Amino acid sequence: MKKKLFRGFAVLATLALAAGLAVTPAHANKNIVVWADESRGPNLTTTLETKGNWVPGYTVTIKSFANFDALKDAIDKATATTGPDIVVGANDWVPTLAKNGKLAPVTLTASQRARFSASQFYDLSYKKKLYGIPVDVNNVAMIYNTKLVTSAPKSFGDMVDYYKANKTSKSLKAGLCVAGGGMSWGAHSVFSALGADAYYFKSNGSINKSRSFNPNTFGNNVKKFLMDGKKSNGFFPATDTGCKDNFLAGDVPFAIIGNWEWNDYKAKGFTMNLMPVPGASAGRSGNAFGSVSGALLTTFAAANGVEAAAKSLLVDFFGSTAGQVAYQLNEKRPPAEKGASTDATVTDGQKGFGASAAAASIPQVGAILNGPSGTSYWDSAPAYWTAVLVDGKDAVKEAKKLVSIWRANLRAAYSDL
Amino acid sequence: MIIRGKVATTIKVALVALISAVLLTLTQSAFAKKEYVIAAFLAATIFAINFTYFSKRSVPLKFFLPGILLLAAFVITPILYTVVMSTYNYKTGNYISKEEAIDRIKALALEPDENNSAFDIVVGEFQTSDALLVSDIVNDSYFISTPERRIELNKNQVELDENLVAQASNGFTKLDAGEISASQAAIKRYLYNNEYFITVENLNVGAVFRQSLEYLPQQDIFRSLISDAIYRDNSNGNYVNPEDKSDFLEPGWRDPAWFTNYVRLINDERVRDPLISVFIWTVVFATVTVITQFAFGLLLALALNKPIRGRRIYRSILILPYAMPSVMSILIWGGMFNTEFGAVNEILGSNIAWFQDPTFARVAVILVNLWLGFPYFYLVSSGSLQAIPSELLEAAAIDGANPRQVFSKVTLPLLLQILSPLLIASFAFNFNNFNLIYLLTGGGPREQLDGEIAGATDILISYTYQIAFGSNLQDLGLASAISVLIFFLVASISLYGVRKSKVLESFS
Repeated sequence: MKKKLFRGFAVLATLALAAGLAVTPAHANKNIVVWADESRGPNLTTTLETKGNWVPGYTVTIKSFANFDALKDAIDKATATTGPDIVVGANDWVPTLAKNGKLAPVTLTASQRARFSASQFYDLSYKKKLYGIPVDVNNVAMIYNTKLVTSAPKSFGDMVDYYKANKTSKSLKAGLCVAGGGMSWGAHSVFSALGADAYYFKSNGSINKSRSFNPNTFGNNVKKFLMDGKKSNGFFPATDTGCKDNFLAGDVPFAIIGNWEWNDYKAKGFTMNLMPVPGASAGRSGNAFGSVSGALLTTFAAANGVEAAAKSLLVDFFGSTAGQVAYQLNEKRPPAEKGASTDATVTDGQKGFGASAAAASIPQVGAILNGPSGTSYWDSAPAYWTAVLVDGKDAVKEAKKLVSIWRANLRAAYSDL
Repeated sequence: MIIRGKVATTIKVALVALISAVLLTLTQSAFAKKEYVIAAFLAATIFAINFTYFSKRSVPLKFFLPGILLLAAFVITPILYTVVMSTYNYKTGNYISKEEAIDRIKALALEPDENNSAFDIVVGEFQTSDALLVSDIVNDSYFISTPERRIELNKNQVELDENLVAQASNGFTKLDAGEISASQAAIKRYLYNNEYFITVENLNVGAVFRQSLEYLPQQDIFRSLISDAIYRDNSNGNYVNPEDKSDFLEPGWRDPAWFTNYVRLINDERVRDPLISVFIWTVVFATVTVITQFAFGLLLALALNKPIRGRRIYRSILILPYAMPSVMSILIWGGMFNTEFGAVNEILGSNIAWFQDPTFARVAVILVNLWLGFPYFYLVSSGSLQAIPSELLEAAAIDGANPRQVFSKVTLPLLLQILSPLLIASFAFNFNNFNLIYLLTGGGPREQLDGEIAGATDILISYTYQIAFGSNLQDLGLASAISVLIFFLVASISLYGVRKSKVLESFS
């Protein structure tokens, strides 16, 4: 009898505890959930705490992730019941997430589209459908140390000449290095300055599907400016290791830096001497990737019954002058929206990078750049620098291999553009 | 202190109740998120726990049950899942279920009109029907649109705001945001003309679309309403136009591909060729690692087996690499092998590109792994040397054997007998030593400009990772097939080790 009593008690205790512990899922049809990384998440939260009624009748919940990779991992694994309504992420996520059915398209009115430059929509489009709103501009620009170099270089050769003339006397560790964005994304402006853009555009703004860079021109420029016979002349290191520290220490006169790290340079007393990487011939510049981060609409918003409200948040907050100004006061990146980018509250740093991007940049088209493992732009670009500058392989021969990879990636992306 | 009687029973009931309650909560949560397999497993776990701890049918099971459940959850289930996934076409673009893919294709099958028309709207009700009050400011036109009809309005029939957007009209009731979210108004289609309709793009904007595809569930096909093209299930996770195989609908779904991924391991030269070279290097790496670690550990154990001054200090120092987290050690070694700034080149006075040259990279990997692993073999060899009866060594010496002969004919054979299972286990561990490769070389160097997928130091597991997660285009089905292959290889090696242990048990 006593045993039965205990068993009965156990069952009752279990049910009682379960009832107490059970968390009833929140009814989320008036709440828009936004996922963001460890920087944008807290800054969005702060912004929305100051003014939260961007979509009347709806609340907005921001979920921050420990870092960008954790956010990407989470959105990759998200399901209809766990996923966000909007994710603030990288533009090169768009093709993959759209292919996997995780993003929903957004339609903008003509006046809403006019708030952004047309090229910014390339970054967030897949198969001619737009999947989000450009939020902030991610770009790199070249900075020069005015304590070493008194005036801006006019050509790539000017920089190399300076390096060769002062290498020993000023104990320079390199001439130009990549401090921000790595040897693929960050170094595109060097590829471009020497004659190798990842892809080219027609005058009407569409991608030129039949044009690739000339490997002989590019390879010979690499030989002329970066090589000393079969060895690197030391002007441009093949890796980004130590570049930022070396530049800040005054051991490198020119560096390619990212707009997200501008405050580190400002703290060391550097001013706004930003410019695109000068080209092989005077008057030309290397195009940097002028990419944008986007607030991307997910398919989960429809499942959660808030798709229209989430689109309103995209347009009225993420895509408006007032919204981007309010947000960038905290996030401090160059805003993508035209009105916000010229707002008085936008800092000189934000404007400087914006100006450099305006001078020489190309949109980052993920469908072309994200090839298969090993042969994507992201893998092949740093491999070229290693093959030529470290392994001493022939710059022209390697350029021919590179152009065939990039051509194949462009061909493979035809249907996705 | 042993707790017995009612107190013990009460504690048991409370503990089981607490665990069951937590599991029940998780079950409910999993069920709510449509994770039915997980929910079923948790429910079975609750039943098993209650049955085991409230009955006397099997006392040993009370001790084994937690281990069995954890083994099932974290070992057997992932293995089964991997095996199942290896039989699927599961990659970027074929990620979701077929039902989800059909829903997505339907949702994406909207084509805007030639002007990409979009209007300011107010969502509301008109004559008991959901309706939109639409302002076509460009054409100075206003109308109310319901799912069935369109009612044109004169400018004097609407109340305009400062942007000339109609905010109210006679008979039209505006819904506030809460009412919109509670109704279906935002997801309906409203009449624009015979061909096009208006959808609620956001709470203030409506866009004009027409349906470009229709799904016919009986035939399981999509039909283009514009070109009449038919898209059929190609049994490989996509709806494809049979007239033009390059014309397919996205997204696809993960579809059973049975043994296709395994066949690719043999037939697809882009997969097969790197796999063979990676497999050979994996075997070489694991073998050389075990031999060098064992040899170096044994050498030190033999040296410190003699009573020498400061032996304890030496022993403590030798354990240090083992005590330090391997992740830190690997990263530090990575820095030390740096071509330009690394200590190794500084000491050697060389300029070796350790991680750019395939041979040097492999040497570096083996050297670092030797550093990480020799303390373990030093420890086990020291212990095993103590276990060898000294009478045997003395007898051999009396019989005239010199020290080298004593070692090679007596000590080493006995040590190998004792340590064989550990050597085999170490081989199996290094076969899958992902951390070392990933953190030290990333599998490189690889000649990417020549189209190489696998790097010179890639082992099977890092190569698998490269395929599954190395780029934005993932092939999880193929990676699962390679994982299954690795599982069988390592399981075979482990099984051999277990059998070896049994032999030794009978020997001792």
